[in-house]
Amino acid sequence: MTSSAKTSLVDPVDASVRLPVLVFFGCAACWLVLGTFLAALAAIKLVWPQFLDGFPFLTYGRVVPAAVNALVYGWASSAGLGIALWLLSRLGRVPLNYAVLPITAALLWNFGVFLGVCSVVAGYSRSILLLEFPGFVSVILFVAYLCVAVWGIVLFRNRAAGAVFVSSWYLVAALLWFPWLYFTGNALLIWNPVAGSAQAPIAAWFSSGVISLWLAPVALASAYYLIPQILGRRLVSYNLCQLGFWSFALFAAWLGTAQLVGGPIPAWMVSAGVVASVLLFIPVLVISLNLFGTLSGAYEATHWSPSLRFTVAGVGAFLLAYVAGAILALPSVAAVFDFTDVLIGQGALLLLGFVSMIFFGAIYYIVPRLLGREWECDGLIRWHFWLFLVGLGVAYTCLTFGGIVQGYALGDPAVRFESSVGFATPFRLVAALCAIALVVGSKCFAGLFFRTVLVVLEEPKSSKEAVAV
Amino acid sequence: MNRMPLLIFGTFLTFASAWLALVAYPYLTLGHLEPVVDEATGSLNPPTLSGLAVAGQKIYAANGCVYCHSQDVRPAYLTADIAREPEADPKVRRTVARDYLRSQPAFVGTLRIGPDLANYGLENRVAALNDIHRHLYDPRGVVSRSIMPSYRYLYKMRKISGQPSNDAVTGLTGPHAPAPGFEVVPSQDAKVLAAYLLSLKRNYPLPEAPEEPTE
Repeated sequence: MTSSAKTSLVDPVDASVRLPVLVFFGCAACWLVLGTFLAALAAIKLVWPQFLDGFPFLTYGRVVPAAVNALVYGWASSAGLGIALWLLSRLGRVPLNYAVLPITAALLWNFGVFLGVCSVVAGYSRSILLLEFPGFVSVILFVAYLCVAVWGIVLFRNRAAGAVFVSSWYLVAALLWFPWLYFTGNALLIWNPVAGSAQAPIAAWFSSGVISLWLAPVALASAYYLIPQILGRRLVSYNLCQLGFWSFALFAAWLGTAQLVGGPIPAWMVSAGVVASVLLFIPVLVISLNLFGTLSGAYEATHWSPSLRFTVAGVGAFLLAYVAGAILALPSVAAVFDFTDVLIGQGALLLLGFVSMIFFGAIYYIVPRLLGREWECDGLIRWHFWLFLVGLGVAYTCLTFGGIVQGYALGDPAVRFESSVGFATPFRLVAALCAIALVVGSKCFAGLFFRTVLVVLEEPKSSKEAVAV
Repeated sequence: MNRMPLLIFGTFLTFASAWLALVAYPYLTLGHLEPVVDEATGSLNPPTLSGLAVAGQKIYAANGCVYCHSQDVRPAYLTADIAREPEADPKVRRTVARDYLRSQPAFVGTLRIGPDLANYGLENRVAALNDIHRHLYDPRGVVSRSIMPSYRYLYKMRKISGQPSNDAVTGLTGPHAPAPGFEVVPSQDAKVLAAYLLSLKRNYPLPEAPEEPTE
C-alpha cells in the first residue's frame, strides 16, 4: 500500500495516527487474551488447588499478579494510550507527525510489560499491588509512557482553533496524572523504598489511582466523545460537564485509603478516603446523568452500533462500580467486607466492566476509520458483547454475595476460618466458569481484530470502500 | 475552561493536594518512625529481623503470599480480628504503623482467602518448625480442606544415603509423601521462608497500641 492510497480512503488525520494506534490496539488485544486466561487459571486454582499444582511459575501467588498486570498495563493501558492518541488528533483536527516516535514508544511499552510479566511469574515480584514489576521495568514503562504523553500534549497544544471538547480535558488530565502517580509509586515503594511503616497509605493510594486517575478518565473521555458522535446529538449540558470534570478531579485523587479502616494508618487518612469515596458520588451522578440524558429515547441505536452498545454497558458499570465503592467505603461496611471476595468483584467491575467495555466500544469505532473498512464479522462482535456482559454480571453478583457470606463468617469469632472458605467456594466456582467465558469473549475480540487487519493488509487497494458510520 | 493554563493548573492543584496529604505526609511522619525502647527489658520494639527472616521476606514476596494472607489486626471495636485469637498470650493487639518498621515491603494485604498471618509465629499456634514445612509442602495433609497451593517446589526429594538428614520433613502423608528410602528436605528458600513466618509476632508492647477490651 502506498501512502497516497491510504489518504484517499481514510481521513488524513486518521491516516496519520493509523500505525501507532493499531500497534497499541494489537498489543492490547494479545494482552487481553493472556490476562483473562491467567485470571481464569487463578480462579480455577482457587476452587481446585490441585490443578497444575507444584510448578513455581504457575503458583496462585504468581499467576494473580501476572494476570492483574497483564490486564492493567498490557491490555487497558495500551488500549488507553491508543485511544488517547486517536481522540486528541481527531478532536483537535491535527495530523500526527513523526509517527515513528509513538510507534517506538508503543513497542517499548509492550516490551516492558512483557519483561515485567515474565519477571513476576519467574519469582521477581515485589508483591505490591500494581507495582509488582522490577525497578528496571518500571523505568522502561515510565520512559515509554512519557514519549506518548508528550505527543498527546503536543497534539492538544496544536489543536485547531475552538476545538476543545470535554473529552480533551479528561485526556490531558490523565496524561499529566499518570506519570506523576507512577513515578511517585515507584520512587517510594520500588526504586528507593521508604520504611515499611509508611508504605500502606502510599500503596493504597497508588493502586486506586491507576484506575481512577489514569484508566477512568480515558474511558470517560471516550464515552463523552462516542455517545454524542454516534447519535448525532449534543451533550445535554455543558455546565454539568464542567461540574462533573472538576469534582471528579478533586475527589478521585483522594481514593484508596478507605479500605484501610482499622489498619496501620492515621485515622484522618481513612476519614479522608471515606469522604472522597462518598463525595465521588456527585461527579459519578453528574457524568451518568449527562451521558444517559444524551442517550434518552435513542437506545434502539445500540442495536446497530456495537460501539454504542459497549459504551453504554461501560457507563452503566461505571455508575454501579462507584456507587458500590461509596457504600463499601463506609467504615461500618468496610469493617465487615474488607478482605472478602466483594473486593475482587469490585476490581473486576471497574477494570473489565467500566474501563474495558468502554475501550472495546472505542476500538470498534476507531479501527474501521483507520482501515477504511468495516469489521469482518458482526456475529463475533455479538458473541464478544454477550460473553462479557453475562460473564461479568454473573461473576460480579456471585463474588458479591459470596463475599457478603464470607464477611459475616469472618466477623463471627465462633465460625472457624476454614468455614469462611467453604462458604465462599460455590460462589467462586461460578465466578471461575464466568472467567472462562471472558477468555472466550476476549478471543472473539482479538480474533476479529487480527482478521480484519490482515484482510486489509492482503487485499488489493482498489476494492476498499469508505466507512458508512 | 477552554484555556490550557487553567486546565493544567487545575488538574495539577487537585492532584497535588491529595499527593501532599496521602504521600508526602506519611513519608515525612510514618516513614521516619523509630523503634521504641522496652523499659522492662531494654530491647528495641519492634525487634530486628534475623538475616534468615529478611531473606524469607523476599521469598514471601516472590511467591505472592500476600494475595491471600493479610498481616493486619484491626481493633476490637471494629472487627472480630482480636476475638478470633482468644487463647493468645499475651493477648493479640491491633497492628499499628510502627509494627511494619522492619517489613520490606509492608505486607498489609487486601484479601483473606487464607487466614491473617500477623501473629503466625506465636508459640501457641505453631508447635514446631517441622509443622510449618509440612504445611508448605502438603497443605491438605495438615488442613484437609485447605485451598493453599503446595510449595513443594521449595523442597527437594532425595534418596537417603547413610544417615537421614536432620532437616528432613517428617510426618508427610498423601500422594507427594516420600517413598521408603527417600526423604524431603527444605531448600534454602524454604528454610528462610519458615524463619520469616516464625518471626511474625506482634506481641511486644507499643505505646500507641494499648491492650483493649474485646467486648
